[in-house]
Amino acid sequence: MDDVFDRVFAGESAVQKVQIEANGLRSDMLLSPVDFDPGHLIPKLPGRYMARASKMAVVAAHHALERSGLLLSGVGPAEAGIYIGCGLGGSEELQAHYERYLADPPRRLRAATTPMIMASGPASHISMTYGITGPSVTYSIACVSSAVAIGEAFRAIRHGYLDTVLAGGAEAQLNTGTLAGWRELSVLATEHATGAEASSRPFDTHRTGLVLGEGSVVLVLESESAAQARGAEPLAEIVGYGVSSDAYNLTEPCPVGQACAMRLALEDASLAGERIGYVNAHATGTLLGDRVEAEAIRNTFGSHADKLAVSSTKSVHGHLIGAASALEAALTVRTLQTGRIAPTANLTDPDPECDLDCVPLVGREAPELEYALSNSFAFGGSNATLVLRKAMAS
Amino acid sequence: MTPYAFLADVLSEKYDVDPDAISPEATLTELGLDSLTIVELLFDVEDEFGIEVPEERASLETLAEAVALVEELLKAKGD
Repeated sequence: MDDVFDRVFAGESAVQKVQIEANGLRSDMLLSPVDFDPGHLIPKLPGRYMARASKMAVVAAHHALERSGLLLSGVGPAEAGIYIGCGLGGSEELQAHYERYLADPPRRLRAATTPMIMASGPASHISMTYGITGPSVTYSIACVSSAVAIGEAFRAIRHGYLDTVLAGGAEAQLNTGTLAGWRELSVLATEHATGAEASSRPFDTHRTGLVLGEGSVVLVLESESAAQARGAEPLAEIVGYGVSSDAYNLTEPCPVGQACAMRLALEDASLAGERIGYVNAHATGTLLGDRVEAEAIRNTFGSHADKLAVSSTKSVHGHLIGAASALEAALTVRTLQTGRIAPTANLTDPDPECDLDCVPLVGREAPELEYALSNSFAFGGSNATLVLRKAMAS
Repeated sequence: MTPYAFLADVLSEKYDVDPDAISPEATLTELGLDSLTIVELLFDVEDEFGIEVPEERASLETLAEAVALVEELLKAKGD
């Protein structure tokens, strides 16, 4: 994750032009795909029953457990939970299933398809792979899936239900059928004149839409007492979580609902807005989405909005849908750890309607930064905000 | 390829079964196959030999039983 943050901080884009072939037709799409090989981390037999998102989740969980020290010390069987956000589960397996089913003549179907396409597959496979017998739950709420997974895990720990949770998200929906659906929505970015890597342009006048990505990010959340008991060094602290619904429109965002999530998160953290120094924005690079979020931030923070640094790291890693919030929360953790704010890459011509300090092009040092928000908003009008705090020196 | 050779090959290659554990008397459960994997294995067999295993014959215990079933279905098919 350290290396990922360094690349995001440097504005290094993962967006590329990928050739897609379906129904005999070839076309180029702008995507942020992962060059993924689980290697020895997933044995052959269980791997046969894991969709791509599950494999990514198992590997991400491995790294989280290893980095936290829990892999060596072992996770207590009933003491840990698994809270994962995932939008579409094994959508590539569903596509393969339908291709076989609808072929003429129909081809044999796999018995494993049904359990492989579940959105809960990633959480289940983390549980089975690492022997974690606490609750393994999945939140499937489009683009806020993993923000809610992390937020609900935070609540479960705060209210004493669990001491340790593997929380995050997994998404791998860059298969042709799913991509075709996205294309019809007219929300995807077109290639920028300076190249594919410059095509994700949140807050920029020349934005044309979002770039889809994929991946999995898993965090280890622990109660303060559990972390102290095993001498773990916290990376950051989650101090607030707010969640709301617009009750408005299936695809159009609403500033009232978004501001509500931010306000609830600040209240949950018992924090005045003035204490926040940075917002990792949801901003995907759609005109309406970016403007509504900017308005919601201004409505939430009032005049303090002028002092906030607001950046969208989607400018380099694209939109990971169900895994987006987990990646952005992890990047926000790293922001607080390092005191370095990642920029909004490609922001050469800021949209005057997004009248905020969107950290254009170049990252900046912010050693005094103590509190940050991570925003996530979804189709269906679901909004979730996490408040994170820099870990205090022990 | 004989049904036994095919099964032994698939079990070690696709299903990660230790080749030394594979014998006609070995039960599929002993070889580490769960119910889902047994169904998937039968699909592999059906594809390879162009046969269809009737649902009521699909509960098999040992590799020898699986081989006998495949041979019976192949005979019935006229191969």
